[in-house]
Amino acid sequence: MGMQGDFFQLLKEQGYQFGQPTAAGSGVDLPSATTILAFKYRDGVLVAGDRRATAGNMVMYDRTDKVLEIDRHSVLAIAGVPATAYEMVRILEHSFKYYRRTQLQELSFEGKLRAVSKLLKENVAAALAGTGAVVPVFAGYDFEQGAAKIFFYDILGAEFEGVEYAVSGSGSPTIRGILHYVNTWGERPLAVMTEEEATIQALRLLTSAAEFDSATGGVNRESNLYPIIKLITQEGVRVVPDDRLKPLFESKVVRHA
Amino acid sequence: MYEEPYRWVEAVGNRRTYLDEQFRQGSPVVALGYDGGLLLTTVSKGTSKLYEIYDRIALGGMGHPADLEKLRFTLLEMAHTEGFNRSPSDVTGSRLVKYGIAPVIKQAFEEVYKAPFIVRILLAELGQKPEKDTLLTINYDGTFEELKEYAVLAATKQAQARMQEYLKAQKPSPCALEQGLLLALRTWAIGSLAHQQDSAESPVDGGPEASRETVASIPDQAALLAHLREVLADKMLECAVLERQQVGSSKYRALKPAELARLLPGDVQAVVNR
Repeated sequence: MGMQGDFFQLLKEQGYQFGQPTAAGSGVDLPSATTILAFKYRDGVLVAGDRRATAGNMVMYDRTDKVLEIDRHSVLAIAGVPATAYEMVRILEHSFKYYRRTQLQELSFEGKLRAVSKLLKENVAAALAGTGAVVPVFAGYDFEQGAAKIFFYDILGAEFEGVEYAVSGSGSPTIRGILHYVNTWGERPLAVMTEEEATIQALRLLTSAAEFDSATGGVNRESNLYPIIKLITQEGVRVVPDDRLKPLFESKVVRHA
Repeated sequence: MYEEPYRWVEAVGNRRTYLDEQFRQGSPVVALGYDGGLLLTTVSKGTSKLYEIYDRIALGGMGHPADLEKLRFTLLEMAHTEGFNRSPSDVTGSRLVKYGIAPVIKQAFEEVYKAPFIVRILLAELGQKPEKDTLLTINYDGTFEELKEYAVLAATKQAQARMQEYLKAQKPSPCALEQGLLLALRTWAIGSLAHQQDSAESPVDGGPEASRETVASIPDQAALLAHLREVLADKMLECAVLERQQVGSSKYRALKPAELARLLPGDVQAVVNR
């Protein structure tokens, strides 16, 4: 019961249902969110996502935040059906807080990973029915190990550690190759890049993804729309503000003929 | 035995006497507003008496640890399910008390065949604006009070009154955290000394008569801190804040000994470092 500090269990006891498959959903164009990436740099982990949400051929929204903060030291970057993904984040956010407040200690990093995995497993039926597939990337600071870490998942809930980087979403095949190339034969491997170098890489990667994937939104300078880039270090999660992204994009990403 | 109404009234009266007796060894709790939020202070032995309940709500308690735990879990469950199902801004101290634990405590108190909760609870709620900050106290019989600026829990009515008078007279406005902390410690000592006096003067609750004389004489700061030092020899000072400027949604933070020492003036630091 409550003594376990399990918020999800508490919700279920109160009749809450998560991950119910809807048979009628299969013929509908569901919204989905698209390219996310995370890689380790000198000070921690950088997590980034484009801003576009699509439903079939239609652009639903161009200001989506797909890199969601769960607590001060962890984020869940989401690719897939936003409705399910946002609900997962809400459950996780409350679960971690509930655990800390009832048990009077932080949930361990491994415990947090398990919580994500558990929600994905609960969601398998909905994912297979085509109404709620989510393929997230979890990144956070592990205080026991003293390092920021990246994990990615499949829709069934299996968890894999992204030792150097992880990608997800429809634009990810494009940038996976680039990440491998840059990290292996680039001037400097990702792990030693400074915050500025890492931010430039993230902008370039997402711009490449948008070039080849219609479901990934690129930078829209007219509307002042830049990707979401968040940094996780020992101090916590920090957002790279648009007024920092703008000059970097102008000087290091735009090709000047 | 309790079929006749006056028997029931008598039983409830006995219950009050019994419960009042249970708090005699209890440690007072002081909560007050400072310019950055709300501060809670107490002295505990072993188990903690200050807790985080929700993003902007903290709890301070007196009484039996098991009863306090039970009610703390009730509050946590209510707050988190409400915050999840509706929104974190719908979780308010007032709702948690009025529709949550106060009726439960009252019912347990009046069901004379069952055990009552041996608790006094203080809930501090950080509002979106300083003027919305609220402090709520609940007694073992389910009666509650909504207060601003400061609130206290104490073993006896006399001790509670003395602490409140002291806070009323001494609390500066605006009040920095350093000032607030020192004032909270002095107020705690006033309450603790009042418990001792009340116990010494009236072993079986002698009423207001016995303590009237001592109300006027408030010990000076040196005497209060000396008392605190004595008590802290085998107990632990506990302080927590709900900080308006705290990054993120959770505003609760327990103050660690090193930080407490830094916030207190030199001559008082020794009290904490014991």
